Amino acid sequence: MAAVTERSNFGKIAWPIVAWIVALIFFFPIFWLVFTSFKTDADAVKPEHLFRFTPTLENYTNMTQNYDYWRFAINSVITSTFATLFALFVGVPAAYAMAFNPSRHTKDILMWMLSTKMLPAAAVLYPMTFLTKNFLGIFDTHFLVIVVLCLINLPIVIWMLFTYFKEIPKEIIEAGKMDGVSTWGEIKDILIPLAWGGIASTALLTFIFCWNEAYWTVRLTTIDAATLSKLIEGNRAPEGLFFGRLSAVSTAAIAPIVILGWFCQKQLVQGLTFGAVK
Amino acid sequence: MSKRTLPRILQTPAVILLLIWMLVPLSMTLYFSFIRYVLNSNIRPEWTTPALSNWRGFGNYAYVLKAKDFIFAIQNSVLIVGSILVITVVLGLAIAVLINRNFPGRGIVRVLLISPFFVMPAVNAVLWINMILDPVLGLQGIAVGGINNLVDGLRDFPVLGWFFNLWPTLEPISFRATQTSAYAVIMMVAWQWTPFAVLIFMTSLQSEDESQKEAATLDGASPWSQFINLTVPHLARPIAIVVMIQSIFHLSLYAEIEIVSRGNGNKNLPYLIGEFTSNNIGAASATGIFAVILANIIAIFLLRMVGKSLMD
Repeated sequence: MAAVTERSNFGKIAWPIVAWIVALIFFFPIFWLVFTSFKTDADAVKPEHLFRFTPTLENYTNMTQNYDYWRFAINSVITSTFATLFALFVGVPAAYAMAFNPSRHTKDILMWMLSTKMLPAAAVLYPMTFLTKNFLGIFDTHFLVIVVLCLINLPIVIWMLFTYFKEIPKEIIEAGKMDGVSTWGEIKDILIPLAWGGIASTALLTFIFCWNEAYWTVRLTTIDAATLSKLIEGNRAPEGLFFGRLSAVSTAAIAPIVILGWFCQKQLVQGLTFGAVK
Repeated sequence: MSKRTLPRILQTPAVILLLIWMLVPLSMTLYFSFIRYVLNSNIRPEWTTPALSNWRGFGNYAYVLKAKDFIFAIQNSVLIVGSILVITVVLGLAIAVLINRNFPGRGIVRVLLISPFFVMPAVNAVLWINMILDPVLGLQGIAVGGINNLVDGLRDFPVLGWFFNLWPTLEPISFRATQTSAYAVIMMVAWQWTPFAVLIFMTSLQSEDESQKEAATLDGASPWSQFINLTVPHLARPIAIVVMIQSIFHLSLYAEIEIVSRGNGNKNLPYLIGEFTSNNIGAASATGIFAVILANIIAIFLLRMVGKSLMD
C-alpha cells in the first residue's frame, strides 16, 4: 500500500486534521437527518431549538401511523431480496460459462450486456407502462418490480461474478471434470464454495442497488408494490411543519443500506467500474 | 453433451432475458416515434390508439427539435452533468490524495466519507431541499437569519457600528426557484457522488509505484510537481472512467429534479420524456430515441476503455 509518509512534523498533524474536517463536513447532512429525526415536528423548525431540545422517539413510534412505513419497507425487502436472488440464479451459470469456457464471442456478449445497462430508462417509459398495464396486467405487482430490478442489475451481476471467477485457477475446475463431476456438481461443490466471498459481495452490492433504485420502482407501481423510494418521493412536498417525522422515515429508509454499504466499499469499486479499476 | 454446447446453454437464459428486456420496449418506442399517438384527443380520437395508419414519418422528431424545452433540456443537462463532473473530479482527487496516508482514525474517516453514496436519491433530495436548503426553515434560512440578527445587534455598537451599518441584510436563496433549482440538484448530486470519485481514485492511488516517487523525492522534485507529473498520469484512466460512469448516471437524473422543483427551470431529456408521456406519446418516443443516441455516444467510449482491461 502506498500511503504517504510525512516529511515534516507540521504535515503529520495538519493533514489528518484537514482530512477529519472534510469527512465530518461530508457526513454532516446524514448526521443532521438523524439528529432532526429525534426532534418533534414543532422543535425541528425553530431556530432556538436547533441544538437544545428534548430528544423524542415519537417520530419513530408514529412512523406506521404517519406513513405506513412498514408496508413500503416490507415491499423493499421482498423485491430487493428476490431480485438479487434471481439475478444470481441466472448470473452464476452465465458467468461460470464465460469464465471457464470462453468462446470467441464471450467478450462481445459481455460488452453487449454492459451496453444494455446504459440505455436511458426514460426512453422506454411508456412502452413499459403500456405493456405491463394493458397487455400483461402485471403493473404494480411484486413480480414486475422483481423482474425489472433483476434485469437492470443482471449485467453488473454477471460482470462482477465474471471478474471474481476469472481469478480462480482453471485447473481446479478441470480437476473436477476429470473426476467425472457433473456441471451442476462443479458449480455447487467446487465453484460456489471457492468463490463464496465474491458471490456474497456481488449479492450485497446488487441488494443496495435494488433498494436505492428510484426510476422504475416509482413509475411502475402505485400502491401494492410501492417501495421506500416511492414513499419518500410521494412525501417530497415542502412539508415545513413535518421535518421531524420526515427525517425519521428517511432515516429508517436509508439506515440499513448505509450500514450495509460500509461493509462493501471495496467491492463497490470493482462492481461500478466493471473491473476496470483495481 | 459436447464441450461447447453446455456453456452456451448456461449463458442462454441471461442472454435471452436481456435481449427481450432491451429489444421489446425499445422497438415499441421506435415505432411510436414514427406515428401520431396521443393519450387524449377529442378532435382526433383515431390518434389515441397506436396504428400504422397514423404514420407521421419524422414529424415527431421535427416537432421535438422545434420545442423550446428540448434545446433547454439539452443545455441544462450539459450544465448539470458538466458541473457535477468538474466538482466531483476535483474534490475527489483532492480528498483521495488527502486521505492516502496513515493517520489515526483513517478507517472511520473513510466510512464517514463514503456514506453519502449509499443514501437513496429520493432521501438525498428531500434532505437537501427541505432540511438544509429551505430559505426559511432549513439550515440555510436559519443561518442567514442568525447572521442578520448578529449584524443588526452590532449596528448599535459604538465606533464599530458604522462598519456594520455598511453590511447588507442577507437574503436567503430559494432553491426551488426557476433560476436556482439546477444548482440545488448540482449540489446534492455532487455531494452524493464525490465519495464515489474518492473511492475510485483512492483504490487507484494505492497501486501507484512508490519507488518512482521516492526517486523523484531524491531528485528534489516538489510534492506538487510529483503530483502533476506522476500521480495525475497514473490516474488518467480512473478519471476517464469516473467521468464516463457518472455521465451515464447523471444524464438520466430524475428523482432529484422531480423533488426539487418538478422540472421548473430545470429539465433534462428523461424529465422532458416524462412530461410528454402525460399525453403526447409520439413526441415522448422521439425524445427517447434522441436520449438513446446521446447515451450511446458516451457508452461507446466507456465500453472501449473497459474492453481493453477485460481479457487481461
